[in-house]
Amino acid sequence: MPSVSQSIRVKVLFFGRLKEILGRTQESIDLAVESNIESLFARYVSSYPELQQYRSSLVASCNREFAPWNTALHAGDEVAFLPPVSGG
Amino acid sequence: MVTPSTDITSLVHEPIDPVILATYVRGNEDGAIVIFDGFVRDHSRNRRTLYLEYEAYESMALAKIQEIAAHLHNHFPIHRVAVVHRLGRLEIGETSVYIAVSAAHRAAAFDACRYAIDTLKRTVPIWKKEYFEDGSVWADGELPPVPSATSAVKPAS
Repeated sequence: MPSVSQSIRVKVLFFGRLKEILGRTQESIDLAVESNIESLFARYVSSYPELQQYRSSLVASCNREFAPWNTALHAGDEVAFLPPVSGG
Repeated sequence: MVTPSTDITSLVHEPIDPVILATYVRGNEDGAIVIFDGFVRDHSRNRRTLYLEYEAYESMALAKIQEIAAHLHNHFPIHRVAVVHRLGRLEIGETSVYIAVSAAHRAAAFDACRYAIDTLKRTVPIWKKEYFEDGSVWADGELPPVPSATSAVKPAS
């Protein structure tokens, strides 16, 4: 086994008003190995407190599938925070 | 999920050509085509809409549209499916989503087309922003259903 790394790198995508609040569409971010989607979101809330008001009206995805907030993250995962969808 | 290679599922950034899609799904074994043509309305909640802008999580949105098409084949006796959603700026009257379903008999085509648009609006990660004379807003949307929380990983017994 290679040595265990202390962090994992995931890709995070932002859409709709989240994209506007954060001023970017995506980034790669290094997280502690025990991270899940909820803790990743909390990290953004600490930098952008106004995000908290949207928490209850967001769903999350991991690797292009809807995912519960307690989904554990792994290196290379692609996570997105999705506002209510309004296609059609 | 794999849809029959004869289906058309796509996200496009240019105008949708309804004639090509309707013609494409039409086969000699069919007796009916049901089409849903969704287009841009000139008002929203008593405000005059100038135009809309659609954006998508494109890779996931396409996967979800393909899941819908696969579901149609598994649950309705239909022939071919076309589901196309347009992204970017759309003017009043332009088609944003076009769904065509062919079948031997009309009931399956109606049911499948209805299922497709209802499910698309609820589960496909696409967003629209409405532009008015005095500003813009993200349209109210629907929260997709999410699988229930995963339990902790069980240790091997």
